[in-house]
Amino acid sequence: MTHSGFWQTDISIRGNQAIHRRQLLRLATGLGSASALSFPALLAQGANKLQRQGKSCILLWMQGGPSQFETFSPKPAHSNGGDTKAISTQVPGIQIAENLPRVSRVMQDICLIRSMNSKEGSHPRAQSLLHTGYLPTASVQFPTLGSHAAHQLGDPDDELPNFVRIGRAGRGGGGGLLGVTYDPFVMNDASRMPDNTTVTTSNRRYRRRLKLRNQLESQFAKRGARQEVANQKELYAKSSRMVLSPKMDAFDISQESKSMHSAYGDTAFGKGCLLARRLLESGVTFVEVVAGNWDTHFDNFSRSHTLCQQIDQPYAQLLQDLKRRGILEQTLVIWMGEFGRTPRINPRGGRDHFPRAFNVALSGSGIRGGQVIGRTNEPGTSVSDRPISVPDLFQTFCQALDIDADHENLSGIGRPIKIVDGGAAVTEAFS
Amino acid sequence: MLRSFTGLNMLLLLMNYAAAQPTSNQAATRIDQQLQEEIGSVPAGGFAPQTDDATFLRRAFLDLLGELPSEEDTLAFLLDDASTKREKLLEDLLEDPAFGLRWGRYWRDVILYRRTEPRAILSSDALTQFLKTELNAGTSWDSLARNFITANGDIKQNGATGLIMAHGGRPEETVAELSRIFMGIQIQCAQCHDHPTDRWKREQFHQLAAFFPRVAIRPQRNGNDRTFLVEGRDTFPRRRRMNNNRYIGTAEHRMPNLEQPEQPGTITQPVFFVNGNQLGLGSDDTLRREQLAQWMTSTENPWFAAAVVNRLWSQLVGQGFYEPVDDLGPDRQCTAPKTLNYLVGAFQANDHDLKWLFRTIMSTAAYQRESRSQPVAETSAFLANRPQRLSADTLFNTIAGALGIPERVQRSNGRTRNGARRLFNSTFGYDPSLTRDSISGSVQQSLLMMNSQLVNNAIQAKSGTRLGRLLQQIPNNRRLLLALYLRILARQPTPVEEKTCLDYLRDSTSRDEGFEDILWSLVNSTEFLHRN
Repeated sequence: MTHSGFWQTDISIRGNQAIHRRQLLRLATGLGSASALSFPALLAQGANKLQRQGKSCILLWMQGGPSQFETFSPKPAHSNGGDTKAISTQVPGIQIAENLPRVSRVMQDICLIRSMNSKEGSHPRAQSLLHTGYLPTASVQFPTLGSHAAHQLGDPDDELPNFVRIGRAGRGGGGGLLGVTYDPFVMNDASRMPDNTTVTTSNRRYRRRLKLRNQLESQFAKRGARQEVANQKELYAKSSRMVLSPKMDAFDISQESKSMHSAYGDTAFGKGCLLARRLLESGVTFVEVVAGNWDTHFDNFSRSHTLCQQIDQPYAQLLQDLKRRGILEQTLVIWMGEFGRTPRINPRGGRDHFPRAFNVALSGSGIRGGQVIGRTNEPGTSVSDRPISVPDLFQTFCQALDIDADHENLSGIGRPIKIVDGGAAVTEAFS
Repeated sequence: MLRSFTGLNMLLLLMNYAAAQPTSNQAATRIDQQLQEEIGSVPAGGFAPQTDDATFLRRAFLDLLGELPSEEDTLAFLLDDASTKREKLLEDLLEDPAFGLRWGRYWRDVILYRRTEPRAILSSDALTQFLKTELNAGTSWDSLARNFITANGDIKQNGATGLIMAHGGRPEETVAELSRIFMGIQIQCAQCHDHPTDRWKREQFHQLAAFFPRVAIRPQRNGNDRTFLVEGRDTFPRRRRMNNNRYIGTAEHRMPNLEQPEQPGTITQPVFFVNGNQLGLGSDDTLRREQLAQWMTSTENPWFAAAVVNRLWSQLVGQGFYEPVDDLGPDRQCTAPKTLNYLVGAFQANDHDLKWLFRTIMSTAAYQRESRSQPVAETSAFLANRPQRLSADTLFNTIAGALGIPERVQRSNGRTRNGARRLFNSTFGYDPSLTRDSISGSVQQSLLMMNSQLVNNAIQAKSGTRLGRLLQQIPNNRRLLLALYLRILARQPTPVEEKTCLDYLRDSTSRDEGFEDILWSLVNSTEFLHRN
């Protein structure tokens, strides 16, 4: 069998053709000198190279809907702004809320969108909307952004999962119509190894068990369940490869230095960000890190301040760390929640749900930092310049990640569903 | 060779069947004849043979009760010489209270997996309970459907409100789901545009939604207990709530204006697209929903009976006349339409009796054949049954039953919770309306089975576990192996399996360790995860 023939078989088996063809092309061009090697050897040698070349993404998900006034769009001159002060940033002319001092110093790497808007003010539905780009419907289960990235960019043969979610993201969604293969690998605590990945026996006995399991399977296959046995065999091989893989060390943040731990800070979110960076370096395509409790219906000001303290240092450190390691250029970092909060301060000192104007912050992967896109009016009650819709935002994600937004996947009843329906990428976000 | 007909042809054929009231046995015989006729010359490979008794027993237990038979059940059934024992078994299982629970959970999943209002999860227990009670009582399918369409009240008290709650009472999503679940018609495609291939028009979809504008969902809070009320209202406050949080209904449904979405849209009259019957504007909520319920569940609406017959046939025989099970037409291909038509007519003649339907399908030779993996071509449909992945609840029942894992775990505060079942539901759950090919396994599933404390504690050879007791009671390895196979897979080991396991034991460090590994392998087997 010629190499090209082998590749073609390989491509058709995998199903997500476009990207693999592209990755293989890259591989072929990048490793031309090593052509004497067999294809599997070539592939093994190319794996790291591929992962470094491929785009990846970290989503910092602010569960509950962070207040734009207390984060990136302070309005100190208006009564709607409350007592929150604005501070200058590394970029002249851009001010953000005083709650994010560390982030203000990496503003040159952040493209801030202040004119996001939608009509969806219910948490779960808005969480679906901002994760999938679509409002939920009963007839189509739309994949979440991380699942699209895993499907389009991930290496299905990687020992580690392509899509990891750290924390509980409410209605963050999963693979939907793409299938459970593209569901997130969920872990709730970044400081522990993920559930069920620690072998309960010696590795030797574990391998022996797996062998016995495989031997016993043949009888069931003979009795008609050939396909089911083959599918499970592949799954068990994949799962045990993962568990026994040395790459699982990527999940162990205790291997990081003390100074690195203190740079990310001692919060759950900080540990999540540190883990996200480690996973990315090991070839994971998409990591979602969740910071919860942004639903500040009462006591908005002190609670937003505390919440910002938890994310300020890790977020800034993550951007710096990725940049220093040279992976920020290939990594899209998204900071967002499901909506913003009302300009009006309610009698309990809180702010309620407000989808009509909120913030998203983008970095890396070709995004030009140090700029602000869009504006709200003086009281912050509506977008006054360059409104950006959710489809616009998803088009922008796709452009940054080299994903074809028009790519169609089929729903259960054979309806073609685009990754993004409508909207246009925010071109000025890119350099 | 099987011929295919589109749904419309099916409707015409359906008129031919008079309302005789066949028994399950009569109907099953007729179905097998009809199917044989429609299949015609049997393709290569031929029909799969009828299952042996052990396979049939496990299949029937899993299908009807979502549980494994006990060792006693298995031995008693295998030793029974009566020629009518399969018939008798079906009869017994249909009267077991676990039947209602197993299928109540199935329909709960059908409804809640597609929920667009996430808080509908609060109605889950009441919904399951409602279905369990009604299914065990033998409530007819049309009566159940009418309950769902006309339901009012607290979603934690009246489980029939679960379907409306699943969509926050929003008329478009609610009627789309009523149509999908009860008629197998995916009319929601016409929500935004006239569908290019289906014949329903956008206006007809909104006329269906016009039966539901007055339904309201209201949040309730008693102390820490959150719930919702589903209610039909005929008076409305002037100001509407924002943000799609449709707590308050409206007097009439408006079809949105696609060119000018900011406009309120056209007031639309309730018309039932299947028969063209209509109600006047201004009709009150009770009339709207009761009328819709009556028209939808009438025997003159062939989609209604066909949808549930097709769905249950697919669940039990492994392939539907239509796939996916909730997409019957009007222009979809039907495999073996005459067989479906006969079964639909006989089901209607038996007053939409669901237990009759289960008994009938499970009495056919088509159901009782051995399983083979997914047929490659349409020409091989219905030649064999199919291995099917267990639902999450059934899998939990089997593993909990086989290994003695308690349903509820005691917490330190003295309260109990069903954490293990929830873990299985979130890891192994799937939308039961999907085709089988689209339900695949995940790494997280196999990790749970391979490495979780839950499973690994339960398979240990220590005192207090099932294996620990068996190791003490049965000194003979061959007999202990038989006991494990009966317990886990409800059958004897084959000679090859017996040899493999005995060889494995010989090479193991200890008897305990060897049997732990065997038990682990059986629980992690593909067979354990499937109903064969």
